[in-house]
Order: sequence, then C-alpha cells, then structure tokens
Amino acid sequence: MKTIEDIPDSQLLLFKSCMVGQEYPGVETSTCYVFDKLGIDYCINDEQSCCTGIGHYTDIFEGLTTAAIAARNFAVAKSCGYPNITCLCSTCYAVNKEACETLNTNTEVREKVNSIFREKGLENLVYEKDDMNPRTNFYHAVEILLSKVDKIKEQKKFDFSGIKTASHHACHYYKVKYLDVLGNPENPQLIDNIAATCGAEPVRWYEDRTLTCGMGFSQLHLNKSTSLQVTKAKLDSLQRAGVELMLHMCPNCQIQYDRYQPVIEKEFGVKYDMVHMNIAQFVALSMGADPYKVCGFQTHSVSLEGFLEKTGII
Amino acid sequence: MIPYVNEYDTPECKTLAETAKKSIRTPASLGLDRCIQCGACTASCPAARFTDYSPRQIVKKVLENDRSVLESEMIWSCFYCYSCNLRCPRNNSPVTIVQVLRQMAINEGIGVEKLAYFLEIGEYLAENGASKIPGPGAKNMERDLGERWISFKKNLESIRDELGLSSKDIRNTHGEVQAILEATGYFEREKWIKAKIQEKLLHQLLENQCIKRENRSGDFGFENDRRYPGQPAFII
Repeated sequence: MKTIEDIPDSQLLLFKSCMVGQEYPGVETSTCYVFDKLGIDYCINDEQSCCTGIGHYTDIFEGLTTAAIAARNFAVAKSCGYPNITCLCSTCYAVNKEACETLNTNTEVREKVNSIFREKGLENLVYEKDDMNPRTNFYHAVEILLSKVDKIKEQKKFDFSGIKTASHHACHYYKVKYLDVLGNPENPQLIDNIAATCGAEPVRWYEDRTLTCGMGFSQLHLNKSTSLQVTKAKLDSLQRAGVELMLHMCPNCQIQYDRYQPVIEKEFGVKYDMVHMNIAQFVALSMGADPYKVCGFQTHSVSLEGFLEKTGII
Repeated sequence: MIPYVNEYDTPECKTLAETAKKSIRTPASLGLDRCIQCGACTASCPAARFTDYSPRQIVKKVLENDRSVLESEMIWSCFYCYSCNLRCPRNNSPVTIVQVLRQMAINEGIGVEKLAYFLEIGEYLAENGASKIPGPGAKNMERDLGERWISFKKNLESIRDELGLSSKDIRNTHGEVQAILEATGYFEREKWIKAKIQEKLLHQLLENQCIKRENRSGDFGFENDRRYPGQPAFII
C-alpha cells in the first residue's frame, strides 16, 4: 500500500493526456497553476506520446504495441531527468504502471521490445530490467495534490464552505492496481480530503459510489443505452444526496458525466442539479485561478456560470 | 487468408485457460484456476446490472475450455472498469480474461466489425503522437451533444491559445511512434482487420438478401440467464 509519505514532489514528468488536451485543456493548466504555487518540481515534455490507452482498451492495440510505446515514454521521462511519471488521466496511470510491470517481469516481451528498438535504430529507447519501478515511478496528479493539502490550505484564497461535493474516483486509478492506492481501494477518499481542505462538505458515501462512469471505452459507442444507464444510476444517486458539485480525476469520466448529463436529461426525461469539474480545477479555483483563463470552464458542457455566481467567483 | 496471429495477447496453447494465463494482457499472478465461482465479479459488474452479461459465467466457460464463448456477444459488453479485478477474493481478473477472449475472437474474424469505429486511432497516433476520439465516435458525439460541443470543438485551438497551451495537442515523437507501430506489426494487423471487415460487410449484404439471420447471442448454454439480447451496434 502506498502511503502519503511516499509521494514525491520533485522530478515529476506531468504526463500529457490526449483527452485532457482535446476536451478539457483547463485540467492541464489548472494542474500546472497549482503545482507552480506549491513549488513542485515538474516538467512537461512534448516528446511524450499517448499511452495508447484509448486504442488498447478498444481492443485496437495489442499488448506488444502498448508495451513498446510505454517503454519509449519511460525513456523520454528518464532522459529528461524527470522519471516520476505523474498522470492527469487514470487510464494513462494504469497503462504505464502495468506496462512497467510487464517490461520488468516478462523477459520475452522486454527482449522483443528492445529488438524492435534496435531494428529501427532507436537504441536510446532500449529498456533494461528495473529501469523504472512500477511502485515508485508512477503517480496520479491527485496523489500529489493530496500530499500537499497543508500547503493548499495555507495558500487558499477562496473558501467553498457549505458546498456539497461528491467524488468520482476513477476506476483505472483504484481498481486496476488496487494494492497501490492511497487509502482503501474499496472506499477511496483522496478527492474528498482535498475538497474538504478547500472548505467543501464532501458527501463521503453515496449509493453506487464505486460504480464506473459508464464510458467503458467502446461501450459508449457500441452499447450506448447500457452505457448511459450506468451513468444515470450514479447521477440519480447524487441527486438524491443533494450534491451540487461532482469532482473528477479522469477526463474520460468527466466526458461521460459532464458531456452526457444533458443527453441523459433529454433521453430519460430527468433533471439534475449538479455541475462537474476536475479536482485540480477546483483546487486552482480555490487558490485564486481565473475560471476561464486557467480553469478553462468554457469547454464544459454543463454550464458552470450558475455555480460560479452562487459562490461569488464571478 | 492466413489469420493474423497475435502471439503475445493470444499465445497458442491447448486450452483457453492456458492462453489466458500466458497472455501479456493478464497479470502473472492471475488466479484463474483458483476461481470458486462465488459470483463477486458478477455482483460488482455494471454490465451485469443492466444486461445479462455475467463475468462469472465467462470464467466458467474458459475453465471448461468451451470455445463457443468466443462467438458470444457477451464478451463485447465488458466496460473494462476492473471492478471484478478489485473484488475477486481469489486474485482472478475476469476483465483481463475478457480482453484476451476479444483478441482471440478478432484473430478468428469474429466481432471485427466492432473495431471499425476505432481503427483511426492507430494512424492518428503514428502521425501525431496523440490519440483522439475517432471520426465515427466524434460523429455520434456531435449528434448527441449538439451545437454547444460542436462550437467548442471549432474553437478548441483558440481556447488552448488563451490557456497558454500550444494550439494543437501534437507531440514531437521524431517518427519513433510510427517506427514502433510498423515494427510491432500493428499496421499489418490493422490492414488484415480492415479486409476482414470488408469481407464481412459483403457477406452481410448477401445474407440479407436471403434473410435468415442467425442469432448467436445468448444461446451458448449460459445457465439460467434470460436470453441475452445484445445491443444493436451503430452502423457507420
């Protein structure tokens, strides 16, 4: 089990996420805003590619391709001196962590990947056993935020007292490598604890708290009605609990809840009162970030204006 | 046509269970043989809650080496949420076994039409170093999400500029990602899948003329489950 003392605050490679970049770019800028204020030593490297997650989990990429792409990204992280891969997306986190384990333990795969690199003249990418450690080189940005709650509290400019929040901890953060979760994987509280630092009142338990968002990679497109039923189950539960703000840690989940909430309202004839944001956007807001120029709320589907007005931010 | 063999995902073995255990997709510690059919996986499963999908029965089929499971629509219903992986008291992982089964099905040309949606991802990744929601998926989203999302997508570059990011999320991979996808055989496999999809579409067209559709879903002896109706796939 990871402990809070294990979380590093230096040499972090902030791993760019494709879905963040294309759907909620404000998640990246909010994370950078908060990391800068907290004095975290991190870098963003444009040479880093997609983790393959979207293709891997839509069954397009085979395991060998995923392992080889991961090995390349590990080489990028190591060569720039920032080997602690810190993800904005839970799927990047799981894919990288798993690939690292495979490359360390499966000699046949490692040798095949390395032979591919040599064949293509990419000797600089060759991965030696234990070049990276699956337990100590991979983090989710939320873990970094949680390890800095005292500093967040000190620098907080805006207090969200009285705001009822609920967390959606992303499946690929706590259900894939469940022994490496900060806290209890049956009831993760990372987002709740960070939100509480910003003054919010998290609903610590609600029905279906551990239910997946429903995106399910190919499921949203192949089995849309089941996909939306799953999403609706959790939204219904949050509505019953009187939640105003749902906090996320993964762009895929955020797409499913924020983008599809209006679709579910229309298709199922229901009405929801909650708005959505990533926990990094929430922390940035509480530290004084601009809702549009830093948090990028103009990219959201469920309008946040009502929430921002109510809380006095705009 | 020689079927494409995906040797790391689906190593050739005598039984489904052996293939699942040796696959790159499953953890080395996979507790498949330790499965006690307790059903914690099915009880935790979002797909099982709303359809007749049952990870417990899929694992049972694998242990019985019943290859008909490869033809079942069921294996295409998993959300890959890993709830079963977390909850299994025997360290089994139905979600990763289903990934192997889908790869085995693909090797036999089963279900390949479901991949049509996502095939763009590979080429886009090779070219840009990033992934995007593939074209057919984006079309669905345009239809579902309407004007607000469409106009946001149109303004994405200027929004990224305003946020101080590069206007496009394109990575500088020096052609290395392209080279890797070439060398792992990804493009070869993609080509094979595309050809298979075409072949299937043609078949479907011919079959439709003499109707009689075989309904494969739910008819594989999954005990006491209601008939699994599957879900209609969108036509692209």
